Amino acid sequence: MKAPPVSITVKDLTLRFPVYGVDAKSLKKHLARVAVGGQLGKSHHGTAEVTAITHLSMQLKAGDRLGLIGHNGSGKTTLLRALSGAYEPDEGQIEVEGRIAPLLDLSLGIDPSATGLENIRLRGRIAGLTAKEIDAKMDEIGKFTGLGPFLAMPLKTYSAGMSARLAFAVATAVDADVLLMDEWIAVGDADFQKIAHQRLLSLVERAGILVLASHDLDLIRLYCNKVMRMDAGVASPVTDIKKLSELMAEA
Amino acid sequence: MQTTQHMLRTGRRGTLHEFGMAYGDLRASIPKLGLAWTLASHDVVSRYRGSILGPFWITLSMAVMVLGIGFLYSELQHISLQETMPFVALGIVFWGMISLVIIEGCETFVHASGMLSQTALPMFTFVWRTLLRNMVTLLHHVVIIVAVLVWFGFWRTMNLPVAVLGLVLTLLNIGWMSLAVAIMSARFRDIPQIVTSVMQFSMFMTPVFWKPDFHSRLMQLVLLYNPFFHMLDSIRSPLLGVAPALHTYLILIAMAFLGWLSTFTMFALTRRRIVHYL
Repeated sequence: MKAPPVSITVKDLTLRFPVYGVDAKSLKKHLARVAVGGQLGKSHHGTAEVTAITHLSMQLKAGDRLGLIGHNGSGKTTLLRALSGAYEPDEGQIEVEGRIAPLLDLSLGIDPSATGLENIRLRGRIAGLTAKEIDAKMDEIGKFTGLGPFLAMPLKTYSAGMSARLAFAVATAVDADVLLMDEWIAVGDADFQKIAHQRLLSLVERAGILVLASHDLDLIRLYCNKVMRMDAGVASPVTDIKKLSELMAEA
Repeated sequence: MQTTQHMLRTGRRGTLHEFGMAYGDLRASIPKLGLAWTLASHDVVSRYRGSILGPFWITLSMAVMVLGIGFLYSELQHISLQETMPFVALGIVFWGMISLVIIEGCETFVHASGMLSQTALPMFTFVWRTLLRNMVTLLHHVVIIVAVLVWFGFWRTMNLPVAVLGLVLTLLNIGWMSLAVAIMSARFRDIPQIVTSVMQFSMFMTPVFWKPDFHSRLMQLVLLYNPFFHMLDSIRSPLLGVAPALHTYLILIAMAFLGWLSTFTMFALTRRRIVHYL
């Protein structure tokens, strides 16, 4: 294992989304607004803002496996995206030590007209692997997908399950200290789900920190040792998994 | 592995901090040039996937265009082929580069929305992707340039280093233009339409096909204030054995400096918002 400590420190994080409606994206509307000095109906206050996360603070260290629970739109995915570095905080700060692997969207960087092998390379490069590292892992990834000769075929000829296998195999081929996952990536047939589960477990073992957003409480119990409940952008304190039912009862 | 080892993201801490973060983004994009190259070459390959000639189409379609327009203008303007063909060939190739870098700049961030909204990749990576993609295209056109220069004998009189200097200055300028329209297009979806029509009109205002004519007062003004003329001239004239005017270089340098200054300021101020525009 690596010497430098892996950690996530979030202090007083507030994240707001400006909502640029279809209207607001038009230059005409914008210019008209400027021209008439902001007298153009209700939308003249600039863009509406939705507060996705309010004053969230938390601290995670190596070995922490945090499950995020909460209703749709409670800010789970937004928090994951902020932790991945894509969304900048409006207030507060996020500090992450360690290599981050966001597994938020399996189809990221996947090109349907390219072959399976090309997609493995492309996705691997986006995840930060060098060409050499991908070559070294290629056999292993190819074997794991179980797609064999189909790897040389364009992805659009794959069934949904096959492309999910490929995407899953590449997405999980990273060595990361901090693993961010949205929902559960339950894909493929029963056989594949079993080996996918194995692979995820070993990935979670290797990673220092896991943050997993899911609605499935059984899943959270299976993988996580801590939970945090989010409700309309407000987070509960990070709680031990044993108190999950109490946390749910507070709702 | 080159993924971020340490990441610190904070709320706004004043303008100076925003500039620091924007500079950080630029600096972090340098080690990601390899990724930008992978994405750029993938773009080119996937555009011609399934065709028999593949990316060779880039060369072929340009060659057809150059030959057609070269002969046509030679006839129309009663100027010898010797004079028209190299002029038109270089004009079309480099105009294509200039206008496509700017027009495709509109999609730089819009097309990268998936990656921008879930990874910490530096935003400049995608600016390089657009530039590199067009450099790949330019490399396919080099064959035509070389063929024309050799066939008409200009290779003996051309000044290659000066032409390369012109190319560098031009790239510096279309670089900031590409970034500027990338940011604006993410925010306002009308910008790509505006950019496309401006570039179409500019093609006719710039001596791509026609010879610059300094006789009338109006044309002098048009040529002086047309930034694209200076870009094109700084590359084309040296290849045809003519030295560009000194003011062309002064304008290009001043424009690159002021352009990057204002565009980088715009980037620094909007950087954290761009991902929400998408």
